[in-house]
Amino acid sequence: MNWARRAVRTVFEALESVLDSVFGPELNPLCQLGALGWFLFWIVAASGIYLYIFFDTGVVQAYQSTEAITHEQWWAGGIMRSFHRYASDALVLVALTHLLREFGLDRMRGKRWFAWLTGLPSILFLYMCGITGYWMVWDRLAQYVAQTTSQWLDALPIFAEPIARNFLDNASLGGRFFTLMAYLHIAAPLLMLLVMWIHIQRYNHARVNPPPRLQYAILGGFTALSLAVPAVSQPPADLDQLATHVGLDWFYLAPYPLIDRLGAGSVWMIVALALLLLTLLPWLPRQRPAPVAVVNLDNCNGCARCFDDCPFSAITMGPRTDGSPYNQQAVVEADLCVSCGICVGSCPTATPFRRATALVSGIELPQLTVARLRDELACHGERGALRAIAFRCTHSAPLRAAVADRVAVFDLPCIAMLPPPFIDHIVYDQLAAGVLLAGCRQGDCYNRLGIRWTRLRIAGARDPYLRERVPRERVAYSWAGARSPAVHASTLQQFCDSLAALPPLRRGTVVTKREVWQARAKRMAWPLRYAMQALVLLLVAGLIAALSTAPSIQLLGPQESVITLSFSHAAKRRHECRPLTDAERALKQPNMQHPTDCPRGRWPVYAELELDDRLVYSGLRQPAGLWKDGVSSMYRRFRVPAGVRRLQARLRDTGRPAGFDYQTARTVDLRPAQNLVVEFDPQQGFEIR
Amino acid sequence: MTGIEWRPEFSTGLAEVDHEHRGLIDLINAALASCAEVPAARREIEAALGEIYARTTAHFALEERLMERLEYDQRKEHKHDHERLLEDIRDIMDGLGHGAGFNQELFSARLVRWFSEHFRTHDARFHLRVAMSP
Repeated sequence: MNWARRAVRTVFEALESVLDSVFGPELNPLCQLGALGWFLFWIVAASGIYLYIFFDTGVVQAYQSTEAITHEQWWAGGIMRSFHRYASDALVLVALTHLLREFGLDRMRGKRWFAWLTGLPSILFLYMCGITGYWMVWDRLAQYVAQTTSQWLDALPIFAEPIARNFLDNASLGGRFFTLMAYLHIAAPLLMLLVMWIHIQRYNHARVNPPPRLQYAILGGFTALSLAVPAVSQPPADLDQLATHVGLDWFYLAPYPLIDRLGAGSVWMIVALALLLLTLLPWLPRQRPAPVAVVNLDNCNGCARCFDDCPFSAITMGPRTDGSPYNQQAVVEADLCVSCGICVGSCPTATPFRRATALVSGIELPQLTVARLRDELACHGERGALRAIAFRCTHSAPLRAAVADRVAVFDLPCIAMLPPPFIDHIVYDQLAAGVLLAGCRQGDCYNRLGIRWTRLRIAGARDPYLRERVPRERVAYSWAGARSPAVHASTLQQFCDSLAALPPLRRGTVVTKREVWQARAKRMAWPLRYAMQALVLLLVAGLIAALSTAPSIQLLGPQESVITLSFSHAAKRRHECRPLTDAERALKQPNMQHPTDCPRGRWPVYAELELDDRLVYSGLRQPAGLWKDGVSSMYRRFRVPAGVRRLQARLRDTGRPAGFDYQTARTVDLRPAQNLVVEFDPQQGFEIR
Repeated sequence: MTGIEWRPEFSTGLAEVDHEHRGLIDLINAALASCAEVPAARREIEAALGEIYARTTAHFALEERLMERLEYDQRKEHKHDHERLLEDIRDIMDGLGHGAGFNQELFSARLVRWFSEHFRTHDARFHLRVAMSP
């Protein structure tokens, strides 16, 4: 599984590098997928509420009202419909990309399994929203969706009668399904919202809003797309005269052609295996857990900074247990702690300076204590020998440099584990001339908030502050994904050159400059950058517009028609009913004194369909129910060449060993694309219409 | 050399804050006592200052948490004063560590002045707000 993860990661890092140069790290859409999902959900919900005001349920009214919304008020309803469709498609794109990316970046194993597992049902609900939505319009696509979905569901042995029988022909179609679809189409997004909310419950400061500029760009893009390529219906559904082609929304309906081609059972098998694999992924292979953070009550006064900064809600503030006068203490939830060390970086007692008592922080990672970090720093040569000390996040790229002999590199599980006083200590105690903080790709911290907290702490905007006295030209960042070591190497080289040119450190000076040292980077000129941003948005919009209706699939050949064979029939009982005597009836409860005793159990129904003296179907259908006393039912469609055909249908519903109880024969003239229904009714026998 | 003496008016009514205030005053007085020894042991003074710095930072963190919880209107100004003291302590520590000379009188005056002034102004106002909160 690791090779697949590495391959996905490499592809994403390459894509992100391109988008970084176009959008900048803060607006890179690939680093905002979760937040974009929320934003798109609200667009779909808002536009859906508007459409529902004007939508009418019913066989005819559904299509008519949708047409009226689309054309009579194109300036509002039409645009809303386009927003609804395109935002829904974009949501699928974003959700699946998010899933793939989290897999590639390995952010779903170990303690992070929860978000992965709760994300899966939200994707299933998303598909349910899309399928019920397309069903409601009742155009040719809705007809295809209704018939294929019901055939797919009928493959599950949970329905007494096939759902597909509701869509036999125009005559058998009732309005109740449209009301049901409307309810399902409202229930599914509400359930999806609930699951999305659960999905982020273990995340502190979960990002649910993309940056405003990205929001404006998306809204503008959808408006332009709605005007240029408005979402419209296909021709109205007609169950008697079928469509030969139908344009699919491939974001939602990509598996549907497989149902036709491989059969409903096979597609269920594929879906079940895919879901099983996705469910097991967080444990393939199992991640070895690192020791979790430990609270030292002698140094914890319950200030709650670790609670505020923990990205995974692994720290709670509980009542004091050591009898000290403090009200609260930090408590680490071992099941949630990913051992990132961000809590250590936030602890006000995590200072490297010599103390009268032992150097123990209020919260520590047992495998890398603050004292150990301080001691390891002290071991790195004489004062002033090092040009720079680099702290590297282990989830970032390896750090190799041409100036390696004058640079010491320390690995941390997250760059935000470094308490800011360490930088003060390194610079002023002259362990090195400057400090490089080398973390994950900007906007894409493996531990979610490490980069954000680090930048804010260094900028003096989030506790614990890096003291103002530390000259910021002696501090540098390098943000690079695991596959981009050249970024770190180049930044470190430039930073060391810059440090060499600095004048000696002046002490006791309050430094007002808040910006850290910046590496020289080639930046696109703004007109080119905006043009490239527009081009990327145009490409994505074009992809969404194109795949939402095309390519179409062929349902029937030009000279093909369909014969639908269906019945729902209770066969004869296996044992005849026997009249009860008065004495037997008297033994029963008053409300159960039936005049006859009818043992449960019915014969299966055997049916045959012959076309031009060729048997196209023969099958035994068992009665439904645990006691096998329900109806036997079937629904099958046969694609046959159009033209004059001799058709024979036969059915046996008794225990006779041979022969048939009902049969019919007729010559029919099948028009191309005609749907000829052969239905059995016990009162009237076979009906061909 | 005059240290800081705990006075009843320093009491905030919050047990955890008072406990830390008393602890800090003890630490400062101990540091001042180390300075008064002749000859002053630089490493001991360094360690005492390091302890003061760590404990003061933690205490300020707790106090700022309380201000945030009570939505104290002057928490920005109050925090600014905290940060000013921490910068001051670091400057003193740094001067000591690099042999720039340690002026005991100046050190004593700076710390005592800051604490007394901070207790009298910022903390007094905050404590009033704490007392008024439901």
